[in-house]
Amino acid sequence: MTNTLKAPAVGAAINRVEGKLKVMGMAKYATEFSVENKVYAQGINSTIAKGEIIAIDTSEAEALAGVLAVITHKNAEKLNHFEEEMPLLATTTIAPVLQSPKVNYYGEYVGVVVAETFEQAQYAARLVKIEYKEDSDPTIQFDESKSKAIKPKGNSDYLRGDMEAGLAEADETLDATYITPIEHHHPMELHAIIASWDNGKVTAYSSQQMVNESTIAIADTFQIPKKDVRVITPFVGGGFGSKLNTERHVTLAIMASKMLARPVQMTVTRHQMFTNTGMRQHNAQRMQLGAKRDGSLTALSHDTLSHTSTYQEYQEPCGMISKMLYKVPNNQITYRLIPMNFQTPFAMRAPGEATGSFALESAMDEMAWKLKMDPVAFRIKNDTQIDLGADKPFSSRLLIECLRIGADKFGWENRPMQPRSKQEGNWHVGYGVSAASRKSPYLKSSAKVLLKLENEKVYATVQMDATDIGTGSYTIIAQTAAEYLGIPVEQVTVELGDSKFPITPGSGGSWGATSYCNGARAACQSAIATLKKNKNIGEDQEITVAKLLKQNKLEKFEAEGTAVPSEAFKEHSVFSFGANFSEVWVDKYTWMYRIKRMVNVGAAGTILNPKTAYGQIIGGLTMGVGMVLSEQTRVEPNFGNFITRSFADYHVPVSLDMANVEVIFLPEEDKIANEMGMKGIGELGITSVAASVANAIFNATGKRMRELPITPEKLIEAPVEPGVLA
Amino acid sequence: MRPFTYTGAKNTAEALQAASSNANAHYLGGGTNLIDLMKEDVERPDELIEVASLDYKKITSNENGGLTLGGMLNNSETANHRDIRTHYPLLSMAMLSAATGQLRNMATNGGNLLQRTRCPYFYETSMPCNKRVPGTGCGAIKGMNALHAIFGWSEDCVAVHPSDMCVALAAIGAKVEVRHPNGSSRMVEFTDFHRLPGDRPEKDSNLLPGELITGIHLPKPIFSAHYYYLKVRERSSYAFALVSVAAGLQIQGGMITKAGLAMGGVAHKPWKLVQAENYLAGKMPNQANFEAASELAMNEARPLEGNKYKVEMGKKSIVSALTQAYERKA
Amino acid sequence: MGELEKRKKNTGSDNLTEDEKKIFDQLGLKNGASRRKFLKLVSSASLSVYASSYATSPLFANTAKDLPHHQRVMLNEVKVNLRVNDRLKPLTLDSRTSLLDTLREHLALTGTKKGCDHGQCGACTVLVDGKRKLSCLTLAATCEDREITTIEGLADGNEPNAMQQAFLKHDGFQCGYCTSGQICSSVALLEEAKNGEASYVTEDFRKIETNLRLSEEEIRERMSGNICRCGVYNNIVQAFKEVHSGNDEMPSWEFATKEQMKKAKNS
Ligand SMILES: Cc1cc2nc3c(=O)[nH]c(=O)nc-3n(C[C@H](O)[C@H](O)[C@H](O)COP(=O)(O)OP(=O)(O)OC[C@H]3O[C@@H](n4cnc5c(N)ncnc54)[C@H](O)[C@@H]3O)c2cc1C
Ligand code: SF4
Ligand code: FES
Ligand code: FES
Repeated sequence: MTNTLKAPAVGAAINRVEGKLKVMGMAKYATEFSVENKVYAQGINSTIAKGEIIAIDTSEAEALAGVLAVITHKNAEKLNHFEEEMPLLATTTIAPVLQSPKVNYYGEYVGVVVAETFEQAQYAARLVKIEYKEDSDPTIQFDESKSKAIKPKGNSDYLRGDMEAGLAEADETLDATYITPIEHHHPMELHAIIASWDNGKVTAYSSQQMVNESTIAIADTFQIPKKDVRVITPFVGGGFGSKLNTERHVTLAIMASKMLARPVQMTVTRHQMFTNTGMRQHNAQRMQLGAKRDGSLTALSHDTLSHTSTYQEYQEPCGMISKMLYKVPNNQITYRLIPMNFQTPFAMRAPGEATGSFALESAMDEMAWKLKMDPVAFRIKNDTQIDLGADKPFSSRLLIECLRIGADKFGWENRPMQPRSKQEGNWHVGYGVSAASRKSPYLKSSAKVLLKLENEKVYATVQMDATDIGTGSYTIIAQTAAEYLGIPVEQVTVELGDSKFPITPGSGGSWGATSYCNGARAACQSAIATLKKNKNIGEDQEITVAKLLKQNKLEKFEAEGTAVPSEAFKEHSVFSFGANFSEVWVDKYTWMYRIKRMVNVGAAGTILNPKTAYGQIIGGLTMGVGMVLSEQTRVEPNFGNFITRSFADYHVPVSLDMANVEVIFLPEEDKIANEMGMKGIGELGITSVAASVANAIFNATGKRMRELPITPEKLIEAPVEPGVLA
Repeated sequence: MRPFTYTGAKNTAEALQAASSNANAHYLGGGTNLIDLMKEDVERPDELIEVASLDYKKITSNENGGLTLGGMLNNSETANHRDIRTHYPLLSMAMLSAATGQLRNMATNGGNLLQRTRCPYFYETSMPCNKRVPGTGCGAIKGMNALHAIFGWSEDCVAVHPSDMCVALAAIGAKVEVRHPNGSSRMVEFTDFHRLPGDRPEKDSNLLPGELITGIHLPKPIFSAHYYYLKVRERSSYAFALVSVAAGLQIQGGMITKAGLAMGGVAHKPWKLVQAENYLAGKMPNQANFEAASELAMNEARPLEGNKYKVEMGKKSIVSALTQAYERKA
Repeated sequence: MGELEKRKKNTGSDNLTEDEKKIFDQLGLKNGASRRKFLKLVSSASLSVYASSYATSPLFANTAKDLPHHQRVMLNEVKVNLRVNDRLKPLTLDSRTSLLDTLREHLALTGTKKGCDHGQCGACTVLVDGKRKLSCLTLAATCEDREITTIEGLADGNEPNAMQQAFLKHDGFQCGYCTSGQICSSVALLEEAKNGEASYVTEDFRKIETNLRLSEEEIRERMSGNICRCGVYNNIVQAFKEVHSGNDEMPSWEFATKEQMKKAKNS
């Protein structure tokens, strides 16, 4: 029920409602709350890849003035433990730490120092001496450990049709393996917390993406009731998946607070963000494609070899996209995992799609080249309106429109068919394309709305435990409430990021916006419905909320509402779709390259706010550019630590790496997806960028780059593909 | 960071005196390298003698008809100084390729010369590294050395010097003015300022303990028409060089009369390509000669397991830098 | 402690102990003014420490090792008068304290952010005497007599300044964590452009002009010291351009038209 009494608030490109706080430096992130009497903690990390602690000397650290405690496995609080071997890592998983002398990887927490000041804690942490007994054969080299691969528990292997038959009937086949490296999320805000343990009750100002899940993880780790855990995180300085889980520094800080009876502030260092706050693992994705001369795909297999830790299982669904994106009768998806001596990987922006689309969309480009077909036409040829992998129709799928409209806008017709044939001065110039899709989940979500009538105006406050990790939650929830209450957005206040508010699924997996807004919608609708019902006003009768309150003789009113996905949602496959086009210039001498421009088309249902939606797209594109350009964490082959250990060696893109990006949204409203017709957009942007750029590099240079990132050092040594005129 | 005493030296005498009285004191310039390394527990001074505010912040004429850069002048002001941009644009360009606006506003010229390697083993105190702790072995030579040296390395250290400014200074041919704690001054040829690792990789330069860099002497204006600083890196800004090339040409009557050529990211010191410079003098500025010079320059390259790409990249970069220097509209 | 207190009181006067006089003579600090300056910088507490170990030359060597722990903490105390956003704050700090931690942990000015603590991200950018610098690699001790401006000092009361407003309008942020640094950097860059400063992508270094009109490429290079992991560089460039040029900037998004949709479906 959209209120028709005023101009719609949903869809307007308004400025972020919390924006003023942010540009003035007033928004408060985790460690910026004034908590009296707080002390500082600094984690200590292991310096071996596998083995056991045999001795710890804390005397020098403890003797330093200001040092309050050195906590190691010897004096740590006993915490909950895992019941089974290699449990699956999820967002509510407990985070026990310092429970045994065992070391599972280089950089694992082996202790924490607490001191009166930050400087003292930092220094004291250096003074703790730890002796280890090293295990002689840690699993630290991916390529040499393939034989140790296991089939993951969360068995997601899949087969439809007959791969062999499909390949046999093909005119052209492709068999290629694509490598993506270990990557790190690296949100700008370091993971951080101020924790207070007070009489068995925990208050945590902690940078988290999922508030409710976090309270569960904390409660279960410390074996206390969930109601005694309060998590507060009104502003999150980026997450990208790394703040989905409750990481072990949270446990350390709470434990320290419990032991010292003082609030404890702990900030994970940028160095520790390589080892203690998740990562995207290294993947080797083998793609086999078969196609007829006319371009129809006959077979597609996607076999992913990745790694997990030696103590937990996580598997990135790289093959998911190959299951559903194209019409192919014979299709096989497999996953294998090598348990390695690194931390457990976990979801990084568009897990599965970002990496999987690099493999699939590069392979599609290779096949198009083999077939001498235009890559856009090849993709359109294999479009499907049915998700063959799930055997359900798509709720809506505008992939063809994305590709055609993008191609037009980009000037795709000027793309040289022959690779390495277009030059500008010292530059090889090429065009690339890639299709994109991203699952758009929708999860149960609640909200509370508080209405207040003042001088004839209705003011509303919406409360949810949702988070705004830069995604614009504050703004689109305010717009939603304004829309459904029929009041100006300026009269809406949104309060988020506190576990005392109604439960939402948190920010992640592209479900945030959809779930939050529908939750807020439900609360507003429930308020109006109750107010109408009290006065026997017909459901369809148009009346302002102000009048409703007056008729009810109320100055204040509050209501809760919960949104849940419909049956129609469950009967369909709900995805956002997109296409990315890029023009890349490669320096003939240095093999450095510049992305000159991009056109990105997105079909993601109702766009609640084009301004913030555009931000989500370019943000994804920028991170995708990082994937292809430079991001990688390298493993030291002899010691098993990450030799990429700072922001000076892990190169995320800078402003000069980006270029002009034009974003086109397709007008659509997907009412099967949900009542508001919207779908996720936060991860659509990153999906497809890497392949689009890699394909443009092929078009520019004739070099087919199957391993990310594509650096000058790799490009300079790479051969030109057979069949390309050098 | 370890505790230290902070000493704000009011004048040179105080600074020198403080340094001579404590072997474990470090001068503090802009702090962009030293504070970073202290936080990493790599550098462990127990006293910092602040010298950035000492009065060596001017650019003055010297007796050779060139300019002298104050040792405490910051990188931004140096690179943007009217006279440097006009007469030594190669230096400006190299300096502005380094780090970022914020860092260049802080970094001093003296500190830039003495910034330490970015070798990740050097930075990671849990790893072996002869430069950080002599005798512990070189982690990089047996491990990951994609970012390391192809010239002049030893079994004990294969690190590279990270400065961009220094590459231009090597091409231009500068001298470093230093003050000894006993009050005396000396002048060091730029090519003798930094050293090769040999069996003492812990020593980056030939400075004596307590010596203070007070200035950098440039020769008569040179390469002000044909210059280019090329920096190959993993992203287009805010990254250290994989390899870099400073190229300067003096051209008269269509002929190269003098060439200045140096590389960064390839050796423990800024690597002056003397053979290539000599080869180019008296030749025509054309592709064939640039390529021949690049071959000569790379003759002695000894790449490691992980950085073979630097040889080809080095050659190509030299040709590109020379071409762009030549083609620049005078 | 009594002894230390007494010595602290002596600061500022030339009422020195014999030991202290000896140190000053050795240091060549003969006159009162330079002695006072010295005292202020190392603090009298630490001076007493030197005095006790002075007997064994060299003067400052090994002091840390020989001292009992509680004094070692005093060893590195410094006093700084910090002028932040036009307010003067006298502080006594651990000499190790960075300007960033001083702002955040001692002055509750948390607008300045810590993104790496090692000079590798730009989140901690502040203006020191009008120039953009990284507060994480700046020791607070070096900031005496300097004018420090943080994000909190840019606005006019509750009114965002022009750059802050442009960031708001062009959505030049998402999570907001790099934003203070981006805005401080942008404000400084306006000045740098006015002064005619060059960058690596400047065409010709010898051509010197003031009041530069920066190209997009120039803005990107000069803003590359501020990392935004949310990836909103393009919006930041727009915001900067608008303030820099005074012209309205248009957003780079659009909706496909009905005709485009129809054509795409049918072709
Ligand atoms: C993230 C990052 C990226 C960077 N990127 C680049 C880059 O791309 N290219 C590049 O060239 N540089 C780069 N730099 C390095 C930067 O240029 C140097 O850190 C800087 O030049 C050092 O100058 P400083 O004054 O800050 O030195 P400090 O850090 O103060 O000192 C460095 C060393 O020099 C000594 N010292 C300082 N001044 C003197 C003096 N006058 N006499 C004797 N000794 C002295 C100190 O004791 C110390 O050992 C980067 C730095 C960072 C943090
Ligand atoms: S190359 Fe030099 S700096 Fe690097 S590990 Fe070896 S000795 Fe240390
Ligand atoms: S916090 Fe200072 S540059 Fe990152
Ligand atoms: S706004 Fe999040 S890092 Fe820039």
